[in-house]
Amino acid sequence: MPTVDIDPDELRELTGREEKSDEELQADLFALGLEFEGWTEDDEFELEFAPDRLDRLSVEGVARSMRYQYGDARGVHVPSTNAADWTIEVEGSVPDERPYVTGAVIRDVDLDEDGLDSLIQLQEKLHATMGRKRAKGAIGIHDLTMLKGSPATEGNPTIQYVGVEPDEDRFVPLDSDAELTPAEVLEEHQTGREYADLVSEYERYPAIYDDIGLFSFPPVINGRRTEVSTDSRDLFVEMTGTDQWTIDKMLNIVCYALAARGATLEDVRVEYPDSELVRPDLSTKTKRVAHDRIETLLGIDLDPDEVIDLAERSGLDATRSEDEATGDDESSITPLEDRDGLEERDGPVGSDESKAEDVSTGDLVYEVTIPPYRVDVLHPLDVIDDLGRAYGFNDLEPRYPEVGTVGGRHERSRLERAARTQLVGLGFEDMLNFHMIDEGQNYERLDVEPGTDAYGAGEPATIKEPYSEDYTMLRTWCLPSLLQVLENNTHRAYPQHLSEVGFAAELDETENTGVGEGRHIGAVLASHDSGYEDAKARLQALARDFNVELETPATEHPTFIPGRAANVVIDGEVVGVVGEIHPKVLVEHDLEVPVAAFEFDLEALR
Amino acid sequence: MQLPESQVAVLEAANADEATPVDALAAATDLPPETVTGAAFELEEQGLVAVTERVDETISLTDEGRTYVGDGLPEVRLYEAALEAGADADPAPMGQVIGSSGLEGAAVDIALSNYARKGYGSIDSGEITADPDADPAADPEANALESLAGEGTLDESNVLDQLERRGLAEVAESTVREVELTEQGVTELMAGVETAETVGQVTPELLTSGEWEDVKFAEYNVEADAETVEGGCVHVLREMSERVKDVLVGMGFEEMDGPHADADFWINDCLFMPQDHPARTHWDRFALEQPTHIDDLPEGLVERVERAHREGVGEDGEGYHSPWDEDFARALALRGHTTSLSTRYLSGTEIGEIEPPARFFSVEKAYRNDTLDATHLLEFYQIEGWVMAEDLSVRDLMGTFEEFYAQFGIEDIQFKPHYNPYTEPSFELFGTHPTTGELIEIGNSGIFREEMLEPLGVDCDVMAWGLALERLAMLATGAEDIRDLHGTLADLEFLRNAEVTY
Repeated sequence: MPTVDIDPDELRELTGREEKSDEELQADLFALGLEFEGWTEDDEFELEFAPDRLDRLSVEGVARSMRYQYGDARGVHVPSTNAADWTIEVEGSVPDERPYVTGAVIRDVDLDEDGLDSLIQLQEKLHATMGRKRAKGAIGIHDLTMLKGSPATEGNPTIQYVGVEPDEDRFVPLDSDAELTPAEVLEEHQTGREYADLVSEYERYPAIYDDIGLFSFPPVINGRRTEVSTDSRDLFVEMTGTDQWTIDKMLNIVCYALAARGATLEDVRVEYPDSELVRPDLSTKTKRVAHDRIETLLGIDLDPDEVIDLAERSGLDATRSEDEATGDDESSITPLEDRDGLEERDGPVGSDESKAEDVSTGDLVYEVTIPPYRVDVLHPLDVIDDLGRAYGFNDLEPRYPEVGTVGGRHERSRLERAARTQLVGLGFEDMLNFHMIDEGQNYERLDVEPGTDAYGAGEPATIKEPYSEDYTMLRTWCLPSLLQVLENNTHRAYPQHLSEVGFAAELDETENTGVGEGRHIGAVLASHDSGYEDAKARLQALARDFNVELETPATEHPTFIPGRAANVVIDGEVVGVVGEIHPKVLVEHDLEVPVAAFEFDLEALR
Repeated sequence: MQLPESQVAVLEAANADEATPVDALAAATDLPPETVTGAAFELEEQGLVAVTERVDETISLTDEGRTYVGDGLPEVRLYEAALEAGADADPAPMGQVIGSSGLEGAAVDIALSNYARKGYGSIDSGEITADPDADPAADPEANALESLAGEGTLDESNVLDQLERRGLAEVAESTVREVELTEQGVTELMAGVETAETVGQVTPELLTSGEWEDVKFAEYNVEADAETVEGGCVHVLREMSERVKDVLVGMGFEEMDGPHADADFWINDCLFMPQDHPARTHWDRFALEQPTHIDDLPEGLVERVERAHREGVGEDGEGYHSPWDEDFARALALRGHTTSLSTRYLSGTEIGEIEPPARFFSVEKAYRNDTLDATHLLEFYQIEGWVMAEDLSVRDLMGTFEEFYAQFGIEDIQFKPHYNPYTEPSFELFGTHPTTGELIEIGNSGIFREEMLEPLGVDCDVMAWGLALERLAMLATGAEDIRDLHGTLADLEFLRNAEVTY
């Protein structure tokens, strides 16, 4: 799971809880779902997080959540933004694969080293998670004073998001002294090589221009000219991607983090050829959540006031819905509230329509306001989860559900167990081998040709781009695995009588998945005097135990010695093979004792 | 007193004045040496004899050494041939001397390498001289060989070292036990010791004749180790799996079964996992090269699942802002979790519509493209369970899992709020390690989201959890490296010695 590094001193400062010890902070963080993994080299907490609350990828967001947890903050808070000065103009040349852009101007930031590190970490973590390694969304942060935008309309400065030919223009990328074309960046620059796959198929590369020229090559790298430092006071944040919602949300998270450090937010106009947006979009969403559902899901009774209180302590606002009793089908999309009305609203929203205690809450519904930095609230359920966290899940009393059901084993699993019990009774050591194997082990080392009639020679289900050359297919039979165990245990005491009731698979067009999956019984008997009869005797015992009729007509099988191999025929059907392993197969496995073996389909014992 | 026959014989053959070796006693009593040893120890326990042990060195000649006893040492033979050639006066040609000495092959090198060392003369530029004062008759090595061949003993240990180095003699160590009568033994002998009638084996004859009533059974050393028996045994991980299945069946769970190679649709899409989720990238999954796609998927279900991904469910639900491609949903892979069985069962395609209440489980293999190490394999067993009922709460989930883990000695479960794309609320389960007392993660759980259940046609609550069987097994068996247990690198010795789980 991903991790985020948080400086505990900064956390104390931003939460205003200077008195908290490291241990207390760690416990509070655990309750938020952030698990302390250890200390970093810079004496920071390394915290493991689940990738839902992406607003907690930096110390500012974590501190915000803790202030809610401590009750020091309540309800939805939306920072104000100043009117737009800058415009991003999106030109028709922008590559079709990456058409979206968003942005914001941040003024009066006061970034010390810690603040800058935090911003860089937030950017990296957002890239890794929501941004899907920059494929879906990529962030560029620039020193605004280094940008020069010529007024396109009515004196407003403008930058252009465009598409360029790979070698059309040059700029000096970060961590470089050379002027390079975008194509050269992908070849020669370390970061360029790392992210080259994202754009190398594009006909035109994404690029952002101001009056001076190209200053950003998203999603790969920014230009050096606009690099942010601790001296930067005003920032331009731009994000490009494959989905407008995703980059807008990433922008909101960055804006909230910088606002928490005292910066002022300023809108940016985004002019597409046929539409115009104003960003950041800090509008809230609304979910309608039924009181009854909250109670059943958490398994507790709650007062409406308590629900509203829990919501506010989660950084949400909840009000009783006007139409709670009617349950009519009014449009589920609640119009976005006027932005001005939401500014700096810190206090709880009053719920003065108090109800008598005994009035049913059966139809009660809350309108819950979701702040703009939340990306994880898809459904009313997600609100209930927040309420549960605020209540404290570990304060809930566990109870065993009073629901009666009848348990039982699957028939296949009972058959497997029965076969295994009999094999162990016959003196076999039960093995558990991997289902994945490679062609060499499965076929060649047993002298078997894939696609032939021999038992075990079925066509394999193969793995695409295998990670390891030892695991390239599903095994078609168990004997190869058992022989490998013998091979790896020649230093252990003999006799080695091994068996496996195990999975095997081969291509089968008649199956829904195209793969015929089955269980085989495989067995090997290795000792100085093992012979055909030892294998046959145990096979006979199994046939007797399961009351099936066994015949062993002679056959030829490349794994076995000619004249010492037979088909396993159960109730008239050929289901396997039994015999003495051929010396060339033994030598191939470095074995110095004879091995008798059998393998057949478990189903034959039903 | 009465003693078994062999002990009486040993007691009578032993001497109070000097210790007698076991071999001598065996010869005197006409009993096998091991019987004499056994009897001697029994007698020692009763204080009748004292048994002492010493280590004897036996020196014996090697084949090469024996040859030289007859033929003479090669260097001596060379010296004698050199004398005959007059090398005591003037250097003689090497070839001629060797020829007349009759030495051949390796013996020539041996002769040359020892000749000068032992002062018989010198060899230089193909010529040989002989020291007239050298005395072959006084050669200590030759004499030692003679002495060993004759009496089998040797006085000077430094000569023995030399012979061992030359591979002419070997020293073998053997333990010799000697038995001596104690005072008590003498007393008992004088008082008279009788032979007790003892029987080694119960035989059919003994039983049918009724003779068993009159005999005394020879006593065994019941404390001695017997020979090692390697019986069959069930694999430790299987035992653990059986135990888990027992517990779950006892809690009313029914077992599921289904394909290992399955469509991503069942593995991920039905679970409301967005298609661009990091776990669905090709690095983490085992996509199949052959076959590539599933043909048959329930048509309406595919549409409903796609709609849930794109638009969400419910009156103000939202979907993911992620791409959704039916081809990807149809692509085959080895299942990354066994939750694909749950989606198949919940959809009604496996055993028909399932009505609440219901409980289902599986303990089956899942495949994950992870780095192999002591605790991670590419294949592992996942314990998967779910409960379907009306109005399930988080408390029901907690109660169920507390009950399950308590069966394995894991108490005080902590529920850490967590995130899974397919459950809400979600919890990671932490428990206290039964032996080390550490807080460890023991599972992942939650209540299935409506975006997952609604397309599957389930209109009540389903809570679910999963964990790796190996995790439980390593706790229970103390195994430190999972590779000792699972797969073809398994160590038979480890498996043979593994403690039974029940």
